[in-house]
Amino acid sequence: MEVSDAIVALSTPPGRSGIGLIRLSGARSLELVRNLLKDSDFSPEPRRATLKALRDPRDGQVLDQSLVTYFKAPFSFTGEDVVEISCHGSPPLLLGVVDALLFYGARTALPGEFTMRALSNGRLNLAQAEAVRDMIEAQTHAAVRQAARQLGGELSSRLQPLKDSLIEIIVPLESSLEFVEDDLPEDITRDVALKLSRLAARAQELADTFDHGRLLKEGLRVTLVGRPNVGKSSLFNKLLLSERAIVTDIPGTTRDTLNEVINIQNVPVLITDTAGVRASADAIEQLGIERTRRAVVDADLVLVVIDGSQPLTEEDRQVLDEAANNRLVIALNKSDLESFRSDSPLQKANGVKVVPVSAKTGTGLDSLRAAIMEPFSSGDFHESSFVITSARHYDLLRRTADSINSAGHSLSKRSSEEIILADLYNALRFLGEITGETTPEDVLTEIFSTFCIGK
Amino acid sequence: MSFDEVFDVIVIGAGHAGCEAASAAARLGSQTALVTLSLDMIGQMSCNPAVGGIAKGHLVREIDALGGIMGRVIDRTGIQFRLLNRSRGPAVQSPRAQADRSLYRTEMRLMLEATPNLHLRQGLVIDLITEGGHIRGVELQDTRRLRADAVVIATGTFLNGLIHTGKRTYKAGRAGEPASTELAESLKRLGFPVGRLKTGTPPRLDGRTIDWDVFEPQPADQRPVPFSFSTDDIPQPQITCYIGYTTENVHDTIRANIHESPLYSGQIKGVGPRYCPSIEDKVVKFPDKTRHQLFLEPEGHNTYEVYLNGFSTSLPSELQQELVHKIPGLDEAKIIRPGYAIEYDFVDPRELTPFLQTTRLKGLFLAGQINGTTGYEEAACQGLIAGINASMYVQEREFLRLKRDNSYIGVLIDDLISQGVDEPYRMFTSRAEHRLSLRYDTADSRLSPIGREIGLVGDSEWERFNTRRQHISNIRATLETTRFKRSDSEYQDIARLVGRDLGDSISLGQLSFYPQISASTVFKLLPASLKESSTLAELETALADLLYHGYIKNQLQSYERVNSHDAVTIPSRFNYRNIKGLSNEMVERLERNQPESFGQARKIPGLTPAAISLLLFSLRVHKTQ
Repeated sequence: MEVSDAIVALSTPPGRSGIGLIRLSGARSLELVRNLLKDSDFSPEPRRATLKALRDPRDGQVLDQSLVTYFKAPFSFTGEDVVEISCHGSPPLLLGVVDALLFYGARTALPGEFTMRALSNGRLNLAQAEAVRDMIEAQTHAAVRQAARQLGGELSSRLQPLKDSLIEIIVPLESSLEFVEDDLPEDITRDVALKLSRLAARAQELADTFDHGRLLKEGLRVTLVGRPNVGKSSLFNKLLLSERAIVTDIPGTTRDTLNEVINIQNVPVLITDTAGVRASADAIEQLGIERTRRAVVDADLVLVVIDGSQPLTEEDRQVLDEAANNRLVIALNKSDLESFRSDSPLQKANGVKVVPVSAKTGTGLDSLRAAIMEPFSSGDFHESSFVITSARHYDLLRRTADSINSAGHSLSKRSSEEIILADLYNALRFLGEITGETTPEDVLTEIFSTFCIGK
Repeated sequence: MSFDEVFDVIVIGAGHAGCEAASAAARLGSQTALVTLSLDMIGQMSCNPAVGGIAKGHLVREIDALGGIMGRVIDRTGIQFRLLNRSRGPAVQSPRAQADRSLYRTEMRLMLEATPNLHLRQGLVIDLITEGGHIRGVELQDTRRLRADAVVIATGTFLNGLIHTGKRTYKAGRAGEPASTELAESLKRLGFPVGRLKTGTPPRLDGRTIDWDVFEPQPADQRPVPFSFSTDDIPQPQITCYIGYTTENVHDTIRANIHESPLYSGQIKGVGPRYCPSIEDKVVKFPDKTRHQLFLEPEGHNTYEVYLNGFSTSLPSELQQELVHKIPGLDEAKIIRPGYAIEYDFVDPRELTPFLQTTRLKGLFLAGQINGTTGYEEAACQGLIAGINASMYVQEREFLRLKRDNSYIGVLIDDLISQGVDEPYRMFTSRAEHRLSLRYDTADSRLSPIGREIGLVGDSEWERFNTRRQHISNIRATLETTRFKRSDSEYQDIARLVGRDLGDSISLGQLSFYPQISASTVFKLLPASLKESSTLAELETALADLLYHGYIKNQLQSYERVNSHDAVTIPSRFNYRNIKGLSNEMVERLERNQPESFGQARKIPGLTPAAISLLLFSLRVHKTQ
């Protein structure tokens, strides 16, 4: 694999649109573009967009007028020479431009290859490279903001103090072990127990932000259940603010589970509407029912819809039973009807929130949305808090905290330093897997600048 | 081309690396010449007359387990043995001994002279004789030419050695011994990347002029722990060393005269070790310290020479004398040899293979300070490996390579050849990620089988090894099977010692985990048959194995964490150099280790997370093509 190739890719999503962006990266980028423009003197000022005609390689005919921007290495996304071509977003045109560049010697970029080059040229560190991906995949503003922060190096800068504190604890322990004949200050390992427990708490605290971070990134799964004709689909549609499901009076009409994502308090919420629960001989309906069961099991929260204008039926109770193992919110629907009773026996049910709503009029929907989010928005998380959004980071931070706690435990058992240090080095390694390694050299450097060692 | 003598292996330099190399090659059956500037200086300790210490003691044990000689020589000539970190766990305990400097030389020479196939030759090597990329022999200053297909260079600080005392500089390999300049130039001509390093040494004093009462005694251990597995006991009389301190008065004088120090005047080009600083370094870097520790180390029973440890310096001689007089207890002390700094050439160790052979010239091996290390032990272990492999080379046998996970020697060589050196490299236990497994008392189980296989471990050593291992294994089993129940007579006494109830029954192994229970106590509780045949040392090893077992398993598990891409295979001739962004160092580690899968690759020590990501990406790209 020739890695100094010029790579090219369409940077905007496939399909028609006003503008399409093609990006080229590699030492030969400018040369290739000169061919494309049939202008061997093209020497653009870096980072200035220039209007140029793109020409068909076969006959020199103008393909399109485009804005060409040149980024000179190393001041580009990848750290190599980069050229970006903005032209009309017509798929055949864009394809034609890409083909022309391939013809002149570029190669199709593989998924993530631009980011990989940015990584290898040191334009991004690991955490930032992940953030690029997160940014692209973000479903809400908050998730974008979070990815932007990580891209801006915030994760790394949050971890650096953790690493520094860890090394600060390692240094005296290691010194007292290795330099036992040197004249080290008395009591350099005093307070280590306290420092360890504080550090473990900090790491765990950062790890715990994943509870919210995960939601930001992966979203919440909410499943709507209820017996037929309680108004699930109407409620579903109302929450979506659009018509999705078919609404008729015939029970069992919604045969499939339907999924849609909405935004509640900046968290992407996947709402799944299910088939009406009813023992039925219909095979298709059975399928729908099976899917329903699965959607309930996978749900973070189950929204049970009950017709508040009628007394509680056996089927209602069955539905409640089925969902009993989940987090529950009860939407007492049809509050617009005369016969609606809001003081139903459900209100007294153990701690479960009951929200009166009307899918028809939209009453109570704000309260319903709030009730859905409430179990998950513990703590003061708002958009300005930094959170961990990656399961990988969560896992590593949790292991870091565990290792530090284990070291603290060994310390309290009066174990010898090398055992305590083994856990601390584990913690360093875990942290290093997120942003970058700390080597024995780094620790030694710290030791020698702290203590006067040497006979 | 005519030669005066023909050998299989030639070793240049009879310092700690050279002696190990020559002894090993000869004992492996190769006709070996040990060429040295001075036969009287064989095995000379240039600086501190001591062997061992944390990590260094571990190296000596490993040398001994493999079949090297340093351990035996120090056991016979050590005059103050101490086990360091006695109060800590066995993984970081290490023996250290002051030596009788002249006795060490004598003993080393005796040992070499008694080694078959080993031929001592006095002479100065001025050139290497090569032919078509292979070494063919050496040329001496007196025109003699010696032939050999394998040569080990172990020249220590002698290559373009330059001594500094104050403003005076003169060429020397060591005080009173000439430098080796032609050989140094030969190496440069051959294209070897050469750098400069420095080290220093303190003044030696006349012991009769010291007021010993002012100093704090540091006696030898009651029960000296030997270095060699073959040593049963240390019969020779031991001495006491003494601890003293500098004062602010001394520091002020140094500061006032700092411009006289070659280091601070810029006169010295080489880089020195951070962990062996001169007294000038200490005073400048740590100005708040009101006193620095000093050790008075008598150099032998038959001399009044005393080594002033902690006072390495290259200040002018007169100033050194003035400074010494300001040290409490040394008011009348006379310097008999002044301290000095020495600069010397070294060859970038990244030129070497894991077998210490140079990639540039076949059959040429480098060992010791020439590779950028500091310390007798660090030099000796390289000498041992180089000597073994030089012999393997001429016999066309397989090379010996030690890995990081089974020896400090492996860590040292791997660090040198993959990272190179910025300053003289010294071993620390923290350099080994597998520190818990590399105890000084497990050197034999890790390395003696290897030593036996290559042929360096003799029959009687091998028998001792097997006996020891058998005893340890029996003890291990007994620790588990011997249990004390409430009804047993010993139970009450033990429980009282520990200060708590021990449950209905407790095994001897579990009992040993309590800090109040010492190894000797456990020994007393062993069944009679074992007590008779085993030693306390064997019990201590068994106990340590038990103690660390859980932690080591834990550590291995965390290293083993499964990554979803572990199964991705790496083609056998995969070209790592094509991976853009991978530093040379990472490329070399990968090429050297030849991993077969991504899972193996990511466990290679020293591979950074970024390198691992780049590798994975490249493998995936490779697969799609």
